Amino acid sequence: MNGRGLVLAAALLLAPVAGVAADDAEGLGLANVKEFTLEHSRGLVAQAELLEAGLADYHALIAAHGGDYAAAWAAEGARLAERIHTIRALWLEASNHYETIEGIVAGIPETAKYDLILDAGNPGTESEDVAEYDLPLPDGTVLKRPGNLFHTITEPLFWGMDEKGVKLPADLNGDGKVTRGEMLFDANLGLGAAQGLARWAKALEADMTAWKPNREDALTSVVVMTPTVGDYFGEWKESQFISGEIGAFVAQSRLTDVEGIMSGCRRMYSQALSPVVAAIDADLDSRITAGFEELLGLVEDTRAREAAGTKFGAEEADALGNEAQDIADRIVAMVLQAAAKADVQIRG
Amino acid sequence: MKYQFKTHLPPAALGAFLALVFILGTGILAPAPPEPGVELADIPFYRLPFGPDAAGKARPFWPSRLQTENGRFADPASIQSAAKCATCHRREFDEWAPSLHAIAGRDTVYERAVRINEGLHRDGIEKSRFCEGCHAPGEVLAGRTNRFKSVMPSDAETEGITCVMCHTATHADPKEGNGALTLAVNTGVDRLPDAMILAAPRDHARAFGAAGTNALIASSDFCGGCHTEAYDSSMSKATSRQHVQTTFAEWQGSWYAENGVNCQDCHMAPDPAAYVRQVRAGNLEKPERYAHNFVGSNYLMFDTSLGSNLTFLRGGILPGLTDARNTALIARQGEATRALLRSAAGLALREAAVAGGRLRFTVAVQNLGAGHNLPTGVVDQKYMWLEVAVRDASGAEIYHSGAFDAERGETDPDAVIWREDFRDTDGRRIPDHLTFITATVTHVRPGVPPKAEDVVAYEAPLPPEAKGPFILEARLWYRVATQEFAYNTLKTDLIIPPFELAAGKFTLPAGKEAHP
Repeated sequence: MNGRGLVLAAALLLAPVAGVAADDAEGLGLANVKEFTLEHSRGLVAQAELLEAGLADYHALIAAHGGDYAAAWAAEGARLAERIHTIRALWLEASNHYETIEGIVAGIPETAKYDLILDAGNPGTESEDVAEYDLPLPDGTVLKRPGNLFHTITEPLFWGMDEKGVKLPADLNGDGKVTRGEMLFDANLGLGAAQGLARWAKALEADMTAWKPNREDALTSVVVMTPTVGDYFGEWKESQFISGEIGAFVAQSRLTDVEGIMSGCRRMYSQALSPVVAAIDADLDSRITAGFEELLGLVEDTRAREAAGTKFGAEEADALGNEAQDIADRIVAMVLQAAAKADVQIRG
Repeated sequence: MKYQFKTHLPPAALGAFLALVFILGTGILAPAPPEPGVELADIPFYRLPFGPDAAGKARPFWPSRLQTENGRFADPASIQSAAKCATCHRREFDEWAPSLHAIAGRDTVYERAVRINEGLHRDGIEKSRFCEGCHAPGEVLAGRTNRFKSVMPSDAETEGITCVMCHTATHADPKEGNGALTLAVNTGVDRLPDAMILAAPRDHARAFGAAGTNALIASSDFCGGCHTEAYDSSMSKATSRQHVQTTFAEWQGSWYAENGVNCQDCHMAPDPAAYVRQVRAGNLEKPERYAHNFVGSNYLMFDTSLGSNLTFLRGGILPGLTDARNTALIARQGEATRALLRSAAGLALREAAVAGGRLRFTVAVQNLGAGHNLPTGVVDQKYMWLEVAVRDASGAEIYHSGAFDAERGETDPDAVIWREDFRDTDGRRIPDHLTFITATVTHVRPGVPPKAEDVVAYEAPLPPEAKGPFILEARLWYRVATQEFAYNTLKTDLIIPPFELAAGKFTLPAGKEAHP
């Protein structure tokens, strides 16, 4: 038997073993996909419950004055302003948790309805993508198919973008003027919506707990979450630019989130997808793996510098953000090309 | 010598003949080079939610009307960064870099508006090909405006309307608009290394400076490919064609078109305001050269007093620029932008009378220098309004319309205003540019056509104690965004400042019953 024959024989003997190893790794990776998704589901539930509590307090302050918003503002202005500030911060945290897993939730047939209810569905007046649920309010009113909870109801309500929900213009930040968004909003609708958000978040978590992820889910997770990482990096970048002057939506550095999400993506790829890709195109697999390492290295280095006190200027922050986005875009493109080669379908 | 020539001629001729046969044979037998560009089938997970056209042909870039000349997707590697072009074309890069074309795909206001629209529909990202076809054509042509981006980004990913996007154009349809441009991004580019460009610059010039392309990009037709915009059911809720941006048509029917003054003459003149004044004076001589600044009306994106907020609004800093250089270029273009705006409009008092205890007057808002309506473009966020204030002889204000609340960023709701409104299927106004749910487009007051005027009438009761002469102060304001749009899109309390286009002070009749 010549050398080539020996190699062939060894490959044939070891192939089943390699297959088992790949299966084990894939199984571990899929378990990680589920854990990652559940982690953010639980985060969503926790934030939604805090939001509900915040709204209950706000509702109680208004109710204590018989629903008279002007009287409530006159008596409890500072507390109401603080409540609204907290409610907005909690909403952002809850929304961030959901946005991180939105692609997965929307992509899984068993959970797709939650995407419509929580984040993307239309009111019943529309002909397609309707959020199929009704929303009971504390005063006994039931809103029939009112649209998604995050963007149709609570976001415009809490930020005063919906004139109907504005009950009283009020100088929330105490600077002597009332600008757009400074107002007391409808407490009845706010509390009902927050209760709905908590209820549906828990239902999502329950269905997520029963979910058994497969290879397609892992792929979908990686390709929808990696660009989200770029978005978080972008938020950090913007927070460097604006230095607190404008942009209430980006009050905190996002580098911590970036690192966590990126690590999750790398883990999902390396454990659930890499074995499959490597078997088909080892070079592509190594380039994807190197891409993840490069991106994570960039994030870790930037975070370490920030922790050490470096204040990034606009030019550098922008260059870092662009670089992170570019690496993420290239990773996603390569992962999708690998998926096509492996004949793995995307859900969603 | 003669003998040697006779002796060697036959074998030399034979050799030459055989060489010719070999060359021709190689040419005939060699496999044809692959067609440049990328086939639709080679882009994994590319989505086509809008189906084929009437002839059954795939529409990969729809609802944008953007096309490549051979129908194939662009190879991202063929879309070079402007920073690369700057190696030799530094002056052109420095002109283009601060322009709105350079940041068309990255400015934060645009980018967030697109994201909000994308969230409105299941196929929102694919629908946004409509927006990106003009704002980020390279992304659309490479197949990256897709939910799953399986194509590598090009070096020019963040550069909006970058060099290659204009300098490969072969066709434009300014009447259809919506990005109705055909670009030879696959066949009309060279892939020469720097050394070869220097060694054989003509090949490079042939690739990016074809006669047809040069003629097209010097024409208003080319601009009209994107500066004509209409909504239909592909990207909105409109059931009939809704005209959103008619800038090309406004120009086409104007004195400027009749006299051969093109978009480029004003917007690419080295000093656009000076050129407008030259044209207003009757001198139609073309500019001495065309600069790549594309000076327009968006003063906000050149307001360096915003500091780091401006960098945030512009979506960061382009590749190839430092922070300091970026700021310097923006400041320079800001001056040109403000000067151009001031050259566009005028105000005149047409009539004034006091009768029956009421003051009546009319003010003409004049389009003196713009070759299109004033305002023009997509004017659901951009708008113009007239402020008038009348004082009596004692200085007491007796009438005021169109005041701007600088603390809240709100314009007097009763002001005379030039703006278009997007409306949903229930007829409600949509204040935040939600294209995908827009059903109709109406005008509060249509823009003032070129070399025309819009006469606005006012009537106010005179207080019994008021004595003339009455002094009318009129100011014509322009603003690039409504506060609703800025707040809803950016969630910030940044007040969008207005810009004064023109102002006038006029004396009205003195008596209680007087006519001019």
